[in-house]
Amino acid sequence: MADSDGEYIEASDDEYIGGGGSYGTRGRGKGKKGQRADGRAKNAWELSAKTGLESYRESADGTIGKSIQEREEERKRKRLRKDTKAFQRGIIRHIVLVLDLSEAMLEKDMRPNRYFTMIKYTQEYVREFFEQNPISQMCVMGMHDGICIRVSELSGNPADHISAIQGLRDPKSSTSKEPKGSPSLQNALEVSRATLYHTPSHGTREVIIVLGALLTLDPGDIHKTIKSCVQDRIRVSIIGMGGRMHICTQIVSRTNSGDESGYVVATDQELLRELLLATTTPPVIRSSAPTTDGAAVPAESAASLLQMGFPSRIVEEVPTLCACHGNLTRGGYTCSRCKAKVCSLPATCPGCHLTLILSTHLARSYHHLFPLRNWVEVSWQRAREKGSKQCLSCLSDFPEPPSSHIAHTENGAESSNGAANRTAAVAAASRNTAPKGKQKKDDGSNEDELATASESFRYECRDCKSHFCIDCDVFCHEVLHNCPGCLGGAGPRKEEGNVDTEMSG
Amino acid sequence: MNAIDGTDRHIKSTDGPPPSLLTIILDTNPFAWAHLSSTLPLSSVVANLLVFINAHLASGNANEVAVIASHNKRTAWLYPTPVSAHNTNGHISAQNGAASHTQNANKYQPFAEVETNLLSNLDDLLKTTTPDDLSTTTTQIAGALSTALSYISKSTIRHSPVDPTLLKSHAILIDDGNLTSQRINLVSRILVFSVSGDLASQYIPVMNAIFAAQRQRIPIDILKLAGDTVLLQQACDATGGIYMAPESPQGLLQYLMMAFLPDATARKSLVLPSAGSVDFRAACFCHRNVVDIGFVCSVCLSIFCSPNLQDSTCLTCSSVLSLSSALTAAPALIPRKKKKRKRAPGDGSTPGGSATPLPGNGTPMHT
Repeated sequence: MADSDGEYIEASDDEYIGGGGSYGTRGRGKGKKGQRADGRAKNAWELSAKTGLESYRESADGTIGKSIQEREEERKRKRLRKDTKAFQRGIIRHIVLVLDLSEAMLEKDMRPNRYFTMIKYTQEYVREFFEQNPISQMCVMGMHDGICIRVSELSGNPADHISAIQGLRDPKSSTSKEPKGSPSLQNALEVSRATLYHTPSHGTREVIIVLGALLTLDPGDIHKTIKSCVQDRIRVSIIGMGGRMHICTQIVSRTNSGDESGYVVATDQELLRELLLATTTPPVIRSSAPTTDGAAVPAESAASLLQMGFPSRIVEEVPTLCACHGNLTRGGYTCSRCKAKVCSLPATCPGCHLTLILSTHLARSYHHLFPLRNWVEVSWQRAREKGSKQCLSCLSDFPEPPSSHIAHTENGAESSNGAANRTAAVAAASRNTAPKGKQKKDDGSNEDELATASESFRYECRDCKSHFCIDCDVFCHEVLHNCPGCLGGAGPRKEEGNVDTEMSG
Repeated sequence: MNAIDGTDRHIKSTDGPPPSLLTIILDTNPFAWAHLSSTLPLSSVVANLLVFINAHLASGNANEVAVIASHNKRTAWLYPTPVSAHNTNGHISAQNGAASHTQNANKYQPFAEVETNLLSNLDDLLKTTTPDDLSTTTTQIAGALSTALSYISKSTIRHSPVDPTLLKSHAILIDDGNLTSQRINLVSRILVFSVSGDLASQYIPVMNAIFAAQRQRIPIDILKLAGDTVLLQQACDATGGIYMAPESPQGLLQYLMMAFLPDATARKSLVLPSAGSVDFRAACFCHRNVVDIGFVCSVCLSIFCSPNLQDSTCLTCSSVLSLSSALTAAPALIPRKKKKRKRAPGDGSTPGGSATPLPGNGTPMHT
């Protein structure tokens, strides 16, 4: 009896894994692979409609709560899934953020409506953008009733942009704009092109369009505009809502030398926020190989030496006028060349146009150049091997690995290893990360692997092999950009055995 | 979401000051302490530190403390004691500790708990330091700061008004959604007992930690007992902490109590010891000169003191740099031409003043 039982289980086990694969075609795993072979990845909006119910699945111990938690973790980790290879990136960026102010933004598929949602998130976005790119410049525009209006001028001061964006929805302000009419991509691109025309060649020129409408009302031939954008080496990325438009795909792919990953569609507001924030990472610089157009495209970003001033801070007895706003202030920074006083940095000296900056601002961009590698999910098996009980950095407890407990409840005659595989398979059915496949991938460089939640709620740094919780994972990758384990000496040099003595010590 | 699950109830303002989390980073670099042993031995510092921690815990019911040692090759938790990985002794030893200090009825329990844990962990740390570990003379301040920041961020999530046990995932989601500043109930700060000097090798990680602290609005206080680093000074300045190098370290406790005990809530109404001037000038990568006006590579952001580089390539990333392209100034405006039209009436105006055909212009005045 026991024998047959064992056989039966083995068969079912195999079948289950196979079944998981075929499930995957419906969900993500295999379907995705098939798509990749075609050379076209599935778009987010095509997937999400199907993954809704399916991903609410009972977890190993039969509770649904945990799998909800997993979903949240998965969602949070999505943002981390960026390339962590050290590419050359355009650190000095010039961005035009184009907001859709057409009547399509009155749609209520986001709460309270698209317009308010967009305004709210873009303010946050501007703040985040300048956190990440302190020496970059931004300009905000709006597509309103067929024309493109300028919301704020090209500048490096986040406060200007935020107050200007705030002014859009404030009914009392004179710049208030209600969404109206249709958007015009061509006008927006032309105005952006003109704005970015004189920016120096060492910086990037980017246009980020938040587009709610499913149409563009253009006065002329937009293809000519696209062509001239390509010539001016402007890169356009578009965040759409509701659906994809062919013309957007074309704009994005032509201005990004064939790469259309810059065109994304936000299906809900959380996604909109994530997609917006994703553009705060500086873009990868492509080598200046001749682009598809064959036109004499200048090297995308000619490296150059920039003259910059590192002013010292002064504190004054009597308030004096600052050169930038004309306010009375007690202190500030004096330009190293012309001694004009500015209140905050980074800034361009109003007197002599020298870029004034703190050395710490430069340091702030270093994490783009030396990114922290993504941490990998930890299977139950690995967790047991490692015996980690607490997150290394925040000391919050991990759930115990379901060693014998599950095996007993499900079917007693199974080895703990098989149980692990089985529970893993059950848990992984919704996520399509069967442990076997993952083990295989682990040693390879799978930096671009789909980031999913870890079944054991642990995440492992590949360098120091320490385990962390999801919150620390997100915090370390989004805010800190350091690995507490690697820096804290939990290096591979003293793996496994020594870690615990160290931590207890 | 707030409206739906009624979490507003939890946000109901409490009258007292918010709980405060004090994270202390103790630099246990053996070299530096050996150097300091004549004037200020580690034992007396730890004794003073414990009094300070007690004062912090006593000043608020919900106050919390965490202590991290930044040793010369690794960081280690001193309090709370982590559960070690493989052996389950962690539990037992913790229980032992608990057993030992419950016996002392004359001591407030939380004080005793911190004291026993901290002392035993510090003892372990020093015991496990082997001569091999002494090969480096710096301290892992970057690791300690990173650990402290992660711990604080997690504690902040735990303390956020939404019930962490029931709605854990949602709490995090909300926390992510709107900036944490609105929901923070926990006021945190970091205090670093620094004795080591040179930290140049950890420049980037320390800078990353500083920016993270700045973003989370966590002040980093520095108590500088020995050595000198501009880096930590900048950390204070950027995060709004207090930098202090006691002139007479014998009175350490006094410094601690007077300068570092007030938490962020209290500091709003106090005059803080000022850091004085902070040197923000940058050192160039080529000659280590301190420069006012430098030249920065647009690719890797290295700073050079002169634009005349060898072969005009960047010394760090060896990309070819050109100075000219950077000098594209803002487009000049063409001065407006004098308009022809203006001239036509002008022609008539000056000479024609006398020859005006207007009849009653000049004549009535003259006569």
